[in-house]
Amino acid sequence: MGYVAVKGGDDAIAHARVLVEFYRLREQTPPITIQQMRTQMRLAVDKVMGEGGLYAPEYAAIALKQSEGEVFEAAFILRAFITTLQRRYYSEAIDTREMFVRRKISASFREIPGGQVLGPTRDYTQRLLDTALTEETEETIGRFLAELEGHIDPQQLAAVTTYDKVIDLLRREGLLKPVENEEDTTLKDITREAIKFPAPRSARLQMMARAETGGLMALGYSSLRGFGNTHPTVCELRYGTVPVRVKDPSGRIRYIGKIEVTEAEMITSTTCTSKKKVLPFYTIGYGLCFGQNDTKAICMGILDRAMRSPDGRSPATDQEFVLYHTEGIEAMGFVNHLKLPHYVTFQASLSNVRAALRRAGAASLETVSETV
Amino acid sequence: MQQADYILCECALAPLEAFVRELEPQCTVQVIRHPAVVITMIRAEDSVEGQPFYLGEALVTECELNVDGQAGFGLCLGDEPVRSYCIAFMDALLLLADGRLPWVQAFLEEQEALIADRLQTEHAHIQRTKVDFKLMEEE
Repeated sequence: MGYVAVKGGDDAIAHARVLVEFYRLREQTPPITIQQMRTQMRLAVDKVMGEGGLYAPEYAAIALKQSEGEVFEAAFILRAFITTLQRRYYSEAIDTREMFVRRKISASFREIPGGQVLGPTRDYTQRLLDTALTEETEETIGRFLAELEGHIDPQQLAAVTTYDKVIDLLRREGLLKPVENEEDTTLKDITREAIKFPAPRSARLQMMARAETGGLMALGYSSLRGFGNTHPTVCELRYGTVPVRVKDPSGRIRYIGKIEVTEAEMITSTTCTSKKKVLPFYTIGYGLCFGQNDTKAICMGILDRAMRSPDGRSPATDQEFVLYHTEGIEAMGFVNHLKLPHYVTFQASLSNVRAALRRAGAASLETVSETV
Repeated sequence: MQQADYILCECALAPLEAFVRELEPQCTVQVIRHPAVVITMIRAEDSVEGQPFYLGEALVTECELNVDGQAGFGLCLGDEPVRSYCIAFMDALLLLADGRLPWVQAFLEEQEALIADRLQTEHAHIQRTKVDFKLMEEE
């Protein structure tokens, strides 16, 4: 069914927008500050940045407030916002080995460089509704922070350090599959050039980095459940901050700040034919995204690996299926277009159906209505 | 001392602004490019094969000044007009490397210590979550 343009309705659309604000504000509760959104809705802000494709915590918080907590809508607002600004710089490649690590775990190895650090996580805890939050005040927050500070001896602070990666251990032992040369390794920018299939790996990673978490999770999960062959283990999962550097107009490399990222290296076993021998190796699927988002980074790693071994049967190994259906903004846009007026085209369809039914006669009509 | 840009991007804004405001009257400052928000594309690399890719974009504020005849560029993440101005100002002073340099260096060293203390405290909190899971057979 195609489109037929409609016009008019300006006043109703404007009033509907005002009505949204009315429902947001009519209880006259204290306004939520952007700083509150940014800090106390931290993970939602991270998702908006990740799916909007723009690292700007303050603006992501504004978008989240504007959209009443609807992450899709907030990410859409950020994507639209990017188009209003000039892209003046390209950063040097960020290096996750420089990460100020807040969390790093491995499900493959018990002992990893620097040890397993859970960091800020709800893993291993029961998901009990914390009704005490209804009583939270500035005083209770102050008491919590003071108590926490009491556990730290300011005279005994250890130096901050960076850590070797688990994959480096595997690489040193020669356990990782040698890099294949047949894959297209060119660096594409899918925001400047429409994606074509088969897409180079750079385009796939870029699309997944700004894909919708739920979409990636659904397809990653499908692979784990058997609709595909990729069922990896977390080799290493890291969350923390990494420095960003750009070349300024005078040509000097400058530090411009740090961004929070989550990185997942997903390990799975494979084989490699060398000198007519089939040898077992490990191979890695890679995930990296803005903010703290374990699920997204892990599923990106699963799907990165899965798409490199297409089997023609499993959705998770099909590039076009994965990349188009996890692109949240486009998916939301297409689904929501179904709400737009389709009156004329539907009326044409209706006329055809009515005419066909008339031709078929009353007896057939009854049968059809029962089967609808 | 770590790179000046790191300190200027990571230190608290209030002391940085106060320091710049104090030095400004001694200088001839010309704004070449007013603070403006622009976009930086963040490049990343897969940690195993080194495959480069674009992670996403980031909001950046840039500013360009001329201080006593020396160009200074200020760049930082976020919508930070005051900080980008201060970075541009300090950049020019560092490049001029004149009699004001010891003051600038003293300020940077002071802020560097504060940043290090903040990071070490956070690091200490993080290290409290370090875990050594025991295998069931070991118990």
